[in-house]
Amino acid sequence: MKTYSLDESTDMHDTKQNRFLARVRQALGNPVGRPDPFAPDPGHSPDGVLKKINGRTLKDYAGLIKTLDAAAPSLNLKVVMLEDTAAAAISLAALVRETETEWGNAKSVVAWEHPLIDSLNLADALSADGVPVYVAGLADEPDETAGRTAFRKRVEAAYIGVTSADWCVVDTATLVMKTRPGQGRSVSLVPSIHVAVIGMSQLIADLNELYTLIQQDAAYPFEGLTHCMTFISGPSKTADIEATLVHGAHGPREVYIYVINGT
Amino acid sequence: MAEITTELYRKKARDALEDDTLQGAIAGLQKRLGEGALAAYGNLPEGPDLRFVAHEIREKAIGNLDILLERLAEKIREKGGHVFFAETGAEAVAYCLDVARRHKVKLAVKGKSMVTEEIGLNRALSAAGIEAAETDLGEYIIQLAGEHPSHIIAPAIHKTRAQVGRLFEKRIGTPYTDDPPELTMIARKALREKFLAADMGISGCNLACAETGHITTVSNEGNIRMCSTMPKVHVSFMGMERVVARLSDHEVLFRLLPRGAAAQSMATYVSYVGGPRQPGQTDGPDEFHLVILDNGRSRILADERYREMLCCIRCAACLNVCPVYRKIGGHAYGYCYSGPVGAVVTPLLVGINRASDLCQGETLCGACQDVCPVNINIPRMLLELRAALADGDRAWDVTRDSIGEKILFQAWSRLIGNRRIYDLFLRLSALGQAVLPDKNGMIRKLPPPFSGWTKGRDLPPLADRTFIRQWKEMNHRDP
Repeated sequence: MKTYSLDESTDMHDTKQNRFLARVRQALGNPVGRPDPFAPDPGHSPDGVLKKINGRTLKDYAGLIKTLDAAAPSLNLKVVMLEDTAAAAISLAALVRETETEWGNAKSVVAWEHPLIDSLNLADALSADGVPVYVAGLADEPDETAGRTAFRKRVEAAYIGVTSADWCVVDTATLVMKTRPGQGRSVSLVPSIHVAVIGMSQLIADLNELYTLIQQDAAYPFEGLTHCMTFISGPSKTADIEATLVHGAHGPREVYIYVINGT
Repeated sequence: MAEITTELYRKKARDALEDDTLQGAIAGLQKRLGEGALAAYGNLPEGPDLRFVAHEIREKAIGNLDILLERLAEKIREKGGHVFFAETGAEAVAYCLDVARRHKVKLAVKGKSMVTEEIGLNRALSAAGIEAAETDLGEYIIQLAGEHPSHIIAPAIHKTRAQVGRLFEKRIGTPYTDDPPELTMIARKALREKFLAADMGISGCNLACAETGHITTVSNEGNIRMCSTMPKVHVSFMGMERVVARLSDHEVLFRLLPRGAAAQSMATYVSYVGGPRQPGQTDGPDEFHLVILDNGRSRILADERYREMLCCIRCAACLNVCPVYRKIGGHAYGYCYSGPVGAVVTPLLVGINRASDLCQGETLCGACQDVCPVNINIPRMLLELRAALADGDRAWDVTRDSIGEKILFQAWSRLIGNRRIYDLFLRLSALGQAVLPDKNGMIRKLPPPFSGWTKGRDLPPLADRTFIRQWKEMNHRDP
């Protein structure tokens, strides 16, 4: 059998790609003068959506929270409103006391390296219960490989993962996360319980606002969507056995969104 | 290549009709998802008309496919990913095996992907000594049972909980239970070990975005996120048509896709994956490979009669409303694509003659188009395929399915084109039908060569007086 290896020259890949695309073009009848498929729709402007988002009052946010609360139960998602980061830390400590590990390890928590999560001082909050909190970074290790290996062990052992998010779309209760250093993807995936801590100002109404914001965000021109952007709407679920809904198929069995008031 | 059993359509359809479990399961699924999808479109701010916008987006993408694929590849390479353009399934499989060999892969975890079914990837991996573990719960069950999926998004819909319980008892060695939550937990544990041990993750692609250079994967279970995050290599396969130009196009399609597929306003997980782990990051694969597959799609693209089929995003909504799928299930369609989408795509991929029963088995009721999130006119293409089978079609190497039928219909068309001959035919038939066996006033059996017509149905007899005659008499009485 013929094999295609990366070790072979990239020329071969280029030729293959060109042949492939030429065949596609030919199938389309070698069209000429097609309008740019990437051009924005004529007359479309993000200004209206941005103005609406930027002009939101506390009352508007109360409305968004109400929508989020309404979307959560059918997803088996828990939304917790908190006054400040100290209250969030207390609530997380209570969660740690009330819940058990799933895979028989000692209780441990892994958390994103993120300004909002840092301000919770989770290590202090959980020290009384003797539950360690590991930060999802590479900092302590001599090199990246060792750092990643250590991180992976911690994330596999942890039963609670704490993240923040870029935005939360209230109408579908969707957390949106780009991937950045210290903010690993597995923190919201491998532990049995996922807690996402966000500020109230990160709430947005719907997918239309989301897709507009993603592209109007100051970070977009240089980081784009990052190499991995994830939407999470509630805990993992399946209905593959006799269409019976079960939560906790492969991802977290429980998801909490902690919304910090006034931030 | 995947196993193709399209020739066994009639036999498998008959078997399915006898299968009470299957009949009950699909009826339940259709009620929940089929009716649910239509209701879910209704709660969009734009209403179901958003499907028309999505259709335009998909048509525009297909019309610019070369430009989009080139941009997609360029953007993914910018982020350090590899892109391979595969003309055939064999090339796609060979590329994946090569990557696996280079990384000395022993265990690959897989997210559900119809395109990997199409190219027979699992069999090739296993022949190369690599365990390919399906991780979608339904696919996992099917793989343990050694079967093929019977539904694009609910692959194990034909299995009862007791069957799954016995299967797990036998294959995993856990004590018997028929409780779905307990069974799910057994699979969760078994597959977690595989996710954490696997060297390679394999996924499909729901819909790529050319502008940003990302593929997307959509799931409720989280298994595809595991496949794309935990192993050191991630290989994703996409049919070449599964791309749109802009992120703003995604917005429209992602509001429709979960509604069509599962009557949900959003799936639990959507991931935009555009490359391997970047420097300084804690997790994600060392390598990311995207395999873009033609495998007969450029032939569909070249024919304007069928090009519209490439707009399909494989959500399976059409399966969930189809009255034929409801009765015969997915296996009868004899290939990885079943239901109305399969009735069009399968003949175009495996041969129109070889899959001739598929398009003829559908009813043309149009429910598939009404529920399609991108409003694909499937009935029109079913008719095109039937026409190709009736007349032959050199472009697709189609030979006439039945010469006799053609002659018969030509004769019929002559007969009804001539008033006098038609009247004579009616009079003779009215006389002739008196000798046919009847039941409750219906004709039970026609003589050969028409006997096939009455095999599964009784026929109403011709009226004593024709409509035209009745009309004339009425007008005579009441001018």
